Amino acid sequence: MTSDNNIAPGAPSPGRSEVLSVEHATHQFGSLVAVDDVSITAGRGEFLTLLGESGSGKTTLLRLIAGLERPTKIGGISIEGQDVAALPASRRNCTTVFQHYALFPHMSVGQNIEYGLRVRGISQSERRERAIEALNLVRLPDKYDRRVHQLSGGERQRISLARALVTRPAILLLDEPLGALDEKLRVDMQVELLDLHKKLGITFIYVTHSQEEALTMSDRIILMRSGNIVQEGPPTDLFDRPRNRFVADFMGVENLIEGALEAVSGEHASVRVGEHMLSGMWSGGDVPAAGTKVCVAVRAERVRLSNAAATNGQEDGVNRLPCQSGATIYKGKYVDRTLDCDIGPVKARIWDRDADIADLASLWWRTDECAVTKIEGS
Amino acid sequence: MTIENKTLARFRLPFWQRLTDWAPTGIGIIFGYSVLFILYFPIVMLMLLSFSGDPLTGIPGDWTITWYEDVIFADIAQRDGEAYGSNFRVGDPLLLSIMLAFITSILCVIAVLIVGPVLPRIKWRGPFLVGFLMPLMIPGIVGGVGLFMWYRLVIHVKMGIWSLVVAHFVWAFPFALLAMLVVASRFDTRLMEAAEDLGAKPWQRFWQIEMPILKPGIYAAGFFGFLLSFNELPFSIFMRAGQDTLPLYLWIQSGAHNTTVPLIYAMSTIITVGSIGLTFLAIKLAFGGGQNDVRQ
Repeated sequence: MTSDNNIAPGAPSPGRSEVLSVEHATHQFGSLVAVDDVSITAGRGEFLTLLGESGSGKTTLLRLIAGLERPTKIGGISIEGQDVAALPASRRNCTTVFQHYALFPHMSVGQNIEYGLRVRGISQSERRERAIEALNLVRLPDKYDRRVHQLSGGERQRISLARALVTRPAILLLDEPLGALDEKLRVDMQVELLDLHKKLGITFIYVTHSQEEALTMSDRIILMRSGNIVQEGPPTDLFDRPRNRFVADFMGVENLIEGALEAVSGEHASVRVGEHMLSGMWSGGDVPAAGTKVCVAVRAERVRLSNAAATNGQEDGVNRLPCQSGATIYKGKYVDRTLDCDIGPVKARIWDRDADIADLASLWWRTDECAVTKIEGS
Repeated sequence: MTIENKTLARFRLPFWQRLTDWAPTGIGIIFGYSVLFILYFPIVMLMLLSFSGDPLTGIPGDWTITWYEDVIFADIAQRDGEAYGSNFRVGDPLLLSIMLAFITSILCVIAVLIVGPVLPRIKWRGPFLVGFLMPLMIPGIVGGVGLFMWYRLVIHVKMGIWSLVVAHFVWAFPFALLAMLVVASRFDTRLMEAAEDLGAKPWQRFWQIEMPILKPGIYAAGFFGFLLSFNELPFSIFMRAGQDTLPLYLWIQSGAHNTTVPLIYAMSTIITVGSIGLTFLAIKLAFGGGQNDVRQ
């Protein structure tokens, strides 16, 4: 993929200048290809998320940008227009927030935050001033003289954030920064990170394996799998228009129904599944030949229940399948019902108790609320 | 009720099992105090005798500091070209030993700074570690004879202070390395990455991150180097080439002249007090003030 391709949906808007560009980066650990000929760009002030499972190469890509890893092969890498391929990490205008905090245990909180300024030879008084400013930014104004081991996990992560921000980098790299925090703290920190991002206007490149985190925070998501980019675009693209089965599955689509592609007309694709004809929004990119195996991806919360019997003829804008009631799982806020159809079980999520129907005959969902996508490839 | 049952049950056991029941409180206490007594009684006696008028009787009393005066003034008198009562001249051996200990200490610190941080992270660390620590298991006499034969009979070089330095370094290095590894094996190399990421150049990372965190290990290595060299006897016997270290000199004197034995008592007391003082200083430097807390 060349950088030209990235101007399509989700690329930084033309008004924004490019602050990072990585071209054709490949990185190998022995025979394992961690990053396989990947190119990415990031715009000024963008919140870009590298999403993927562990081992997908997202962290390696981040370390290549930081300069902590030397790429096996690279076409070019530049930060703010400056070619940094030959520069060590210490001379690149980006800093990292590590998952494991990596705070210096022999220094106080203040000394930790000031470290980036100290190695740049900035005077004691200015260092202190800027450190206190950074502490205010992460809402820990009184911790300047504390020792690192006196802090809680959440506080350490904020100090690590302050330490990375105090040098005013062009890009802030965040390597699963919330991974070690508990659930509630994580949600609070998400909000705080977003606030900071808005306030500072710095480009954030955020690595995570949590699709929920990626969806909440990002301007743009790059989904990676075994060293390659599978799909990139704004959160809504990945959420509603997965390019293939893997993306749909990763983004949490509960119902992935396989069938044979019948035809694609405009945005709509129709798929034969058993005796039924389903249709949805084509999101697999290039259209394959008719008869190719494809996948209908529909989220459980889009599936609705009805007591009307399914007719054989196609209804406009709706996919309808006859079904019988199956297992119900109570989840508190909602109920998950597994419904037995002749094409296999379909999961429906019911938020509204009143919508749960006793004399169930069929289920349906809107065709523009489901995606038809490829099984493999990108 | 339960206590009674237990007591009764115990008496039904064979006597050797009953023995283990009270052994921890009875025999244990006696045994523990015996060990302490065996360890410290001779040292305390030696200190008391060094202040006694007639130490060779083995009975402390008739307190005096005359032996200390002899130890100190004999050397000053010799330096000034005057005659003095005894021929116990501890000055030169003491200076030599301090110098050797100092050099060994510095060599240990340098070697351990090079090896220590790397060893826990290389592929063949097991075999290397065994190789570095083997001298610990070789008796000093064997090591001394080995080095002696190597230098004198195989490569034909003259012994001197340098050979004492080599021997003392060989002897002290494994201990110093162990002391360093305790700290170095826990060192989180990701801190170095974080420092690099924040803009620190290699020498800044070394001085500002690695050195301060490894500081307890560095002090411990230097301290072991110093004390082990200062107390070393078996290697020195073979490697001295006319140079007497302090332990060597005391050993020779204690075997030779009855008249100098009281001076050995005084000298030993000085050394003991000095060693203990140095140990406390080293501990304070390495771990003092809670400033070097390496927990995270």
